Amino acid sequence: MTRDDTGGGGPALRTAGLGKRYGRVWGLHDCTLTVPAGAIVGLVGPNGAGKTTLLQMIIGLLSPTEGYAEVFGVTSYAHSAATLARVGFVAQDHPLYRDFSVADMFHLGRAMNPGWDQALAQARMAALEIPLERKVKTLSGGQQAQVSLAMALAKRAPLLVLDEPVASLDPIARLEFMREVMASAASTGLTVLIASHVVAELERLCDWLIVLAGGRVQVAGPVDDLLAGHRLLTVPRAAGDAGLPGIPVHRTDSDRHATVLVRSDPAEQAALPHPGWQAEPVGFEQLVLAYLQRPAGALVIPESARAEARPGPAPKAAIR
Amino acid sequence: MTWVTWRQHRTEAIVGLCLLAALAAYAILLGTSMRTAFTHDNLAACIARSQGAGCQNAIGDFDGKFGSAVNIAFWASLLLLPGLIGVVVGAPLLGRELEFGTWRLAWSQTVPRGRWLVIKLALVGGGLAVLGGAMSAIIMWYRAPMDRLVGHLVHNAYDFEGVVLPAYILAAFGLAVLAGLLLRRSIPAMIAALVAWLALRLGVEFGLRNQLLPSSTLSRPCTGGCSGSFGNIGISAIPPETGHIGDLVLSGHYARNRFLISYQPAGHFWGLQFAEAGLFLAVTLAALGAAVWVLHRRGA
Repeated sequence: MTRDDTGGGGPALRTAGLGKRYGRVWGLHDCTLTVPAGAIVGLVGPNGAGKTTLLQMIIGLLSPTEGYAEVFGVTSYAHSAATLARVGFVAQDHPLYRDFSVADMFHLGRAMNPGWDQALAQARMAALEIPLERKVKTLSGGQQAQVSLAMALAKRAPLLVLDEPVASLDPIARLEFMREVMASAASTGLTVLIASHVVAELERLCDWLIVLAGGRVQVAGPVDDLLAGHRLLTVPRAAGDAGLPGIPVHRTDSDRHATVLVRSDPAEQAALPHPGWQAEPVGFEQLVLAYLQRPAGALVIPESARAEARPGPAPKAAIR
Repeated sequence: MTWVTWRQHRTEAIVGLCLLAALAAYAILLGTSMRTAFTHDNLAACIARSQGAGCQNAIGDFDGKFGSAVNIAFWASLLLLPGLIGVVVGAPLLGRELEFGTWRLAWSQTVPRGRWLVIKLALVGGGLAVLGGAMSAIIMWYRAPMDRLVGHLVHNAYDFEGVVLPAYILAAFGLAVLAGLLLRRSIPAMIAALVAWLALRLGVEFGLRNQLLPSSTLSRPCTGGCSGSFGNIGISAIPPETGHIGDLVLSGHYARNRFLISYQPAGHFWGLQFAEAGLFLAVTLAALGAAVWVLHRRGA
């Protein structure tokens, strides 16, 4: 079940008690995760949830206030060449120097990265029919995103991090961009971390999910396990949370009924306590939205649950 | 990184070279005719003979011909120029990266941001120092005949000759780099740095400069009435009140039948230049050091 084996070694990414404080406010607090090598990870959260903060600490652009992050077993330090070399990064809005040509951008990549793969970068441009001598500012948004992606891939880093990569792109460009990402991941075994609030986009691509809200990890794990470990119950409105089979994550009350997303061990999902209750499997988007709609800051993950926030069976610990 | 720095600053380098070429053309034109006139009027011999006291008419003619071209043009337009050069190059170095978000690209490559910044500062700062040195050399060459009459200590000569000019440019550059980092935008950083630089520049020129080296005092008996005010300060006379071309008279007053003149001797030129350039270089290093420290410390 665990995908640790696909990378042949330890996890691609591990964080322990990772947190960043800006003045008095925690941008990210107590983040503990283990992501196996080869996973395509979706990092979902509303704006200001701490996604960019988490990404920047992983790739070495920001120092944590507490805890640490490891990429393939090596601790990430801000300002460290060793950390920077291990991650290919496409920042939000894929920034490039506007008055550079594509060839200039690649020249910069070659000058600033010892592992630079010029052939790979040029082959990508040829396949996408983007001329190397074109100035960046004359390229479309989708083409600029492809140049950014080519630069991140040509770094030949084992982890690719994309921060809102398609937010500013039109639907066709989104599709093409993600197709390129997935093709690269499939052919090289790259681990990919995609931060986005376009949930539908991630559903098609990701086999791993992290939901972040209010600066905290709400839920994390392999998508299949998370879907198996949750169900949507329809119960009489009068039924309290206490009698439900599983831990309620999100509840919607209508006139007579309540729809409750509960988290429970797949092995214990067999019987419902009342014949009138109904249970159905939950979809990816429903699951994400349920966790995003929890009141901010209301979540408390006990110590035992943090240890469980790892790949493997669905987490069992109580979430109130 | 050398290539990256060159690619990002080559337009500025080309503009700098054009500026230098324009200055050189102007200098060659005016400098040549000044030399011709200087030789033609036999001013060199007169200065050697009597420090200019015996040829006031010829000096007056020469000054009438070239004084305004030399002084007004440079004093008015070149006072701000070193500051403008420094802030235009310095403010975008970090300000533009932060303004347009390209810092996320630049600093997520394998070169850590500290090294990225230090290399850029060294290369761009070095380029500016060379530009300033070249400007200074051109101005010093072209003004040479005029300086033989008025010395190097007057503002119009002192501010653009010797080693202070590159130091002025570098100080503006350093302040602008720091302002770009703190304000995160190029244009406000340019304005803030230029204001700070101008305050420093004028404060030093009018407050501190003549205290960098102790001035000398000349005492001589009064001739005529030992009262009234003393007007021959600076270069209002050739030779100056001290009788020696190149001295800069700071003040004069009468005391007990004697006339006391306070002045900077001509020989203090290089000492003053190095002291003042050192001051501006210290400001440069402090500002750049602060920028490196803030960048390392704060992140972005």
